[in-house]
Amino acid sequence: MESTLDIFVKAIFSENMIFAYFLGMCSYLAVSKTVKTGLGLGVAVIFVLGVTIPINYLLENYVLKEGALEWLNPAYGVNGSSTINLSFLSFIMFIAVIASIVQLVEMLVEKFAPALYGALGIFLPLIAVNCSILGGALFMQDRQYSTMTDAVAFGLGSGIGWLIAIVFIAAIREKIRYSNVPPALRGLGITFIITGLMGIAFMSFMGIDY
Amino acid sequence: MKALEKIIHNLDPKFEKGGKWEKMYPLYETLSTFLFTPKHVTKKGAHIRDGVDLKRTMFMVVLALIPCLLFGIYNTGHWHYEIQSYVNPEFEGYRDYLTGFGDKVIYGLMKVLPLVIVSYAAGLAVEFVFGFIKGHGLHEGFLVSGMLIPLTMPADVPLWMVAIATIFAVVIGKEVFGGTGMNILNVALTARAFLYFAYPTAMSGDKVWKSGTDDMLVQADNVMPDGASGATALGDLASFVGDSPVVAGKVMSSSDDLVAAFESAYDPIHAFIGMIPGSVGETSTLAALLGGAILIFTGVASWRIILSFFAGGMLFGLLMNGAGANAYMDVPGYYHLIIGGFAFGAVFMATDPVTAAQTSWGKIWYGLLGGALTVLIRVLNPAYPEGIMLAILFMNVMAPLIDHYVVQTNIKRRQKRFKTA
Repeated sequence: MESTLDIFVKAIFSENMIFAYFLGMCSYLAVSKTVKTGLGLGVAVIFVLGVTIPINYLLENYVLKEGALEWLNPAYGVNGSSTINLSFLSFIMFIAVIASIVQLVEMLVEKFAPALYGALGIFLPLIAVNCSILGGALFMQDRQYSTMTDAVAFGLGSGIGWLIAIVFIAAIREKIRYSNVPPALRGLGITFIITGLMGIAFMSFMGIDY
Repeated sequence: MKALEKIIHNLDPKFEKGGKWEKMYPLYETLSTFLFTPKHVTKKGAHIRDGVDLKRTMFMVVLALIPCLLFGIYNTGHWHYEIQSYVNPEFEGYRDYLTGFGDKVIYGLMKVLPLVIVSYAAGLAVEFVFGFIKGHGLHEGFLVSGMLIPLTMPADVPLWMVAIATIFAVVIGKEVFGGTGMNILNVALTARAFLYFAYPTAMSGDKVWKSGTDDMLVQADNVMPDGASGATALGDLASFVGDSPVVAGKVMSSSDDLVAAFESAYDPIHAFIGMIPGSVGETSTLAALLGGAILIFTGVASWRIILSFFAGGMLFGLLMNGAGANAYMDVPGYYHLIIGGFAFGAVFMATDPVTAAQTSWGKIWYGLLGGALTVLIRVLNPAYPEGIMLAILFMNVMAPLIDHYVVQTNIKRRQKRFKTA
């Protein structure tokens, strides 16, 4: 069985959302032009992942999965609650949770960091459809973490991994701004190539047992 | 000399725009500046600190690599005869390091020179193609990469793999970013990492480090003879965390003192000189340090990076000693600096001025983290016993961020000073 620390560190490095699964690429590519905005979005993603994955974990274990509704015992007038399987609802429930948390983040950022709010623009509400957020929730469901702490560790770890990825690439993109990249590759093309090369570098952590 | 220079410069008009051989300009420019400085040099102005140009800087690195190359040639020959001696009694005496000097040198040359030639041929061909397309001369950067690539390979690696890896590294690792000086990952390490992940059987395990191990195994009916071993010191160490620890070919039981056995099998002095199996040029810490001294003396490489890289490795090694959770962690920390490619990587790869951190403090952080990461990957990641390659690649990725924060800190400090003044 994996320890909590194991889950946390793995989510940051060897199972990095960007470099191992290539999830959440759209905002990763679009907002990584400067370190500052990248950092801002990264913190927002950490927050959203860190909050939504535990909430979705509770939903999964007490509402959605087969037998999760066992706590609705006959005293409440429900019979056979242990056979109810609502997992077909999981996508819609997870997305609802994610969308509402993102709304919350958006309001917070607008209130407390208006400059960042302007810089992030449309990509802040778009965290709601960032694949790494739903991906995180589905990984959590798929891997069946046994405790709430594990789910929190996984959520925070995935978020930190995503933040590391976006600040690394943002710094590199700031550096290559004056490089003589062939015209056909300028912009996103070269960013994809860099991401692939960074993936090689991140392979150094694969196979570590913590 | 003057006459030759004149003859060459008289050819200039033929190759310039509108001349007869205009298309061949990149080739001409490369060869002529290799011999002489360009015709147009700056006459005045204070912006030149040194008369050395990029081509000569790069050449200095190639010179500094010569000790590693020479030692690598001999070492390749030695381990070939050493492993052969187990099936061929004729070579019994060759297990002594200095016996059969001539034979070993000849065998080493036959193995290593083709690697160097293929690497240069493949890389320069790609560089020329890009030079023609973009209409500039040959970029000098490949002079160094072309020498580093063969030195990071096991001697038995097939030549076509070297060619593929070189082409991949030059095109994807460098040319797509705009050529020399623009790449983010070290070109030689990109080539090695490409082969490492694409053809792991040719780049890792315990059959590739001593040239001719495969032949020997065929003759010995695929059973490693008693006392023979194809593993590197790091390969042995990585086996310490598994179920069946091995030291120099001997399977140890759990009650044995692994650390003592390791220390007697790999004498620190021998390891420092480089008398251990490994990739062609990486084994000798002594040769790498000699090269490092040349580079630091001529100001080509940053002493900050080299020094902090060693410091980082040493500190993390001691930290591991302190943790001491398994036999690998108990091996004295200084071993990490002298086995594997640590010194070679720290001196020649990490100091690559393009991919390393650019700021003074950034270089120190870059080195410290790189050295620590190397030991971390070696000790904690049994899948990759050779930590240095991936650690430097990771630091290459991280370097721009380190620089960014060093610059930001500097800006903040100056703003503060400005405000208080």
